[in-house]
Amino acid sequence: MEKEKLLHNRRRTLLAISKFGTIIGLVLMFMAFSIAVPNIFPTLRNIVNIVNQASLSAIIAGGLTIALIIGEMDLSVANVASFSGVLVTGLMVESHVPVWLAIVIVILVGGAFGFINGLVITKLRVNAVVATLGTGSIVVGLNYAYARGVPIASGVPEAFKQISLGRFLGIPNNILIMIVVLLILYIFINHTEWGFQLRAVGGNPSASRLSGIKVDKIKILGLTITSMCASITGILLASLIGSGTSAAADGYLMPAFAAVFLGSATLKDGDFHIVGTLIGVLFISIGFNGLAIFGVPTYVQYFFRGGILILAVGMSSVARTMASK
Amino acid sequence: MESKDSVKAPLLQCKQISKSFGGVEALKKVSLDIYPGEVHGLIGANGAGKSTLIKIISGDITQDSGEIVFDGAPLSLNGPQDAYKLGFSFIHQELNLVPKFSVIENLTLGMEKETKFGLIHWQTVSKRVTEVLNQIGLDLPLNTIVDTLSVADQWLVSIAHALMRNIKMICMDEPTASLSAEESSKLFKVIENLTSNGVAVLYVSHRLDEIMQLCSGISVFKDGECVLTTNKSKTTRDELVTAIVGRKGTAVVQDATERFKSEKVILSTKNLSWGTRVKDVSFDLQEGSIIGFAGLVGAGRTELANLIFGVEHPDSGNMELVGQEYHPKNVADAISSGIGLVPEERRSQGLVLKDSVKFNINMLNLKSIRFSKLFGLINNGKMTGISKSIVDRLQIKTPNVNTAVINLSGGNQQKVVIGKWLTRDLKVLILDEPSRGVDVGARSEIHKRIKELANEGKGVIVISSDNEELPLICDIVYVMAEGKIVGKLEGSEITKESINYKSYEHILQKNSESL
Repeated sequence: MEKEKLLHNRRRTLLAISKFGTIIGLVLMFMAFSIAVPNIFPTLRNIVNIVNQASLSAIIAGGLTIALIIGEMDLSVANVASFSGVLVTGLMVESHVPVWLAIVIVILVGGAFGFINGLVITKLRVNAVVATLGTGSIVVGLNYAYARGVPIASGVPEAFKQISLGRFLGIPNNILIMIVVLLILYIFINHTEWGFQLRAVGGNPSASRLSGIKVDKIKILGLTITSMCASITGILLASLIGSGTSAAADGYLMPAFAAVFLGSATLKDGDFHIVGTLIGVLFISIGFNGLAIFGVPTYVQYFFRGGILILAVGMSSVARTMASK
Repeated sequence: MESKDSVKAPLLQCKQISKSFGGVEALKKVSLDIYPGEVHGLIGANGAGKSTLIKIISGDITQDSGEIVFDGAPLSLNGPQDAYKLGFSFIHQELNLVPKFSVIENLTLGMEKETKFGLIHWQTVSKRVTEVLNQIGLDLPLNTIVDTLSVADQWLVSIAHALMRNIKMICMDEPTASLSAEESSKLFKVIENLTSNGVAVLYVSHRLDEIMQLCSGISVFKDGECVLTTNKSKTTRDELVTAIVGRKGTAVVQDATERFKSEKVILSTKNLSWGTRVKDVSFDLQEGSIIGFAGLVGAGRTELANLIFGVEHPDSGNMELVGQEYHPKNVADAISSGIGLVPEERRSQGLVLKDSVKFNINMLNLKSIRFSKLFGLINNGKMTGISKSIVDRLQIKTPNVNTAVINLSGGNQQKVVIGKWLTRDLKVLILDEPSRGVDVGARSEIHKRIKELANEGKGVIVISSDNEELPLICDIVYVMAEGKIVGKLEGSEITKESINYKSYEHILQKNSESL
């Protein structure tokens, strides 16, 4: 009995560490960088810069959170984001579509990719990893077919560039857009009928089915939202760099996954949630930023990226196993 | 033969094994000896304690008291590899084969294989495999994929898997449950062959004729006790049936609270059939009545529930709900028609374990707790209110409605599953094994709630393999066997013994036909 209690207590402590580990790590990292490079890192300018850069990751990772909540995967998000950037600039420059309409069209196209992912996964019963690997490659193909791999840079309307570069009340627009998107996702997941069903389907598909929830429809809905978020990130990235470049957003995939998994072990026992995802994104962004300021060679940044991904997924699944014991 | 047997030391000895689950005694000081070269039959009704004993022998669970001795040494196993090392093998109903692997790959799974330069030397391996297959008379190309074999041949492959190692004892759980008569006799020959080589077999079955034909030692379990130990030369089929069922039937007196009664039929089925699992089932369910479905595991009761709940669609037959044709397209359709199901596996089919009591209770109720259809925003206050009233009404023991259901006891989890349905306007509630794995106190509470539901005018169907449960709550009990209704018991006829008897009756009839 005594031994069991001891084990139980140890498990609880471990769980608590993993729950707050990311946040503690975030604070420690912040302090370390501040001490190491006091005149560069802890400046308001740099911090706003970090959050501004993180906002694009946060939107794509927020969408990915939904795919993982329903128990699926989406490896095509970065490809959809890249294509969205190319398509939105292409529509404006080549087809002279107004800025707002181009954005709406591209977000809908992004949604369509998610819808197709959902159909392939639920109706053809293709494993999500394989399905989205496949659609991701097809999206890359579409990307090259549309722009032949040539960046669309000249003639991008100034109004479009201003979306990312502009500020409102001194805060960069991207940060505001991120806050709005994450807030909508948060309310959607936690306070709506559909969000409720998303969580039920992810938590126990067969219990959901026996409760009359249309599991396939809910999965398709979730994956559509995931892709729409990826599209938004792609559009904002094109606006930020002022051009549509074929592979611009490809690097977002790994950090987004790492952030979502880090977030799932944060504050909760391996459950995917938006607040956690945001903390995960900040953790990774501060890490990248600090490494960059230190002038660490590129290969180390890759080590950091890969290490964080493995650590994050590991923490998430260990948290889940421990919570269920 | 017999005198020699008695001189031989037993291979496996179970001494005074006891085990209880949450206050329910599953095994009470059970002792059992199995000798080398013997087929020992283990029989008894559902819940008599057979599987508990096997789980204890195989090391899946630990006994509360008592000792197991194998081959002269105390036995404690940690998983199948351990068992194999000692010469022990367990073949369960769900065979432990890799379906997409070939025969040879399955047979050598988890074994060290002869290698040459680090590559498996299949020639040597196949020689050994062929020997073993010859021994059990299985003539198959070694590269046959196991998936493509008949169930009978898969059983033989499982036995061969055991024989690949030096096996002293095999435990078989209901081997003939899905075999034809011809296939069974093939299996029996293999078993006889095994025992002549000194291997002991522990044979669990519901089929008395097999037991009489095959087993030298026979043990009958009833209510967690070993009520009869005998052998086939001494006993008769009647004696075994009496031991399984018990001698006299005493009517259970239901508590005398007034029950709402009505003649109005809510749900009726006519000649409902689905494949080979449900055959020609007809019954009427009256408003305010509780009907039970009894039978052995695999009798087709869960499948019948699935037909009513729209999970599956009948091949033929009709259903009527309050006088109207009822053909549910899917589960959502059945639910909106007013049918509810508390499924057999509450953890895997009834609950989202990691989510809160509140979340689970409102799973069926989303439309009535949203502010408006447009944005689907949920009224959290209303959701909490509804959850609290159901927690109160069912007396669910939980710190609060935000507690994750994984932290509740089995009985309280079950109450949450029942509570889900109380948020809706229900006509019929089907409960599949409502008190399985639940302690005695929670069980009687669940029974109370079931009666309350009936008193509100709902029709209730209870499926239970616990034959002590149905007499306590049901007005009518249908006994099912092999997909058919084989008996109907009403009022004071409903006793544990009569249910047991009806469950076995068709087996006896079958035997007399075949004789």
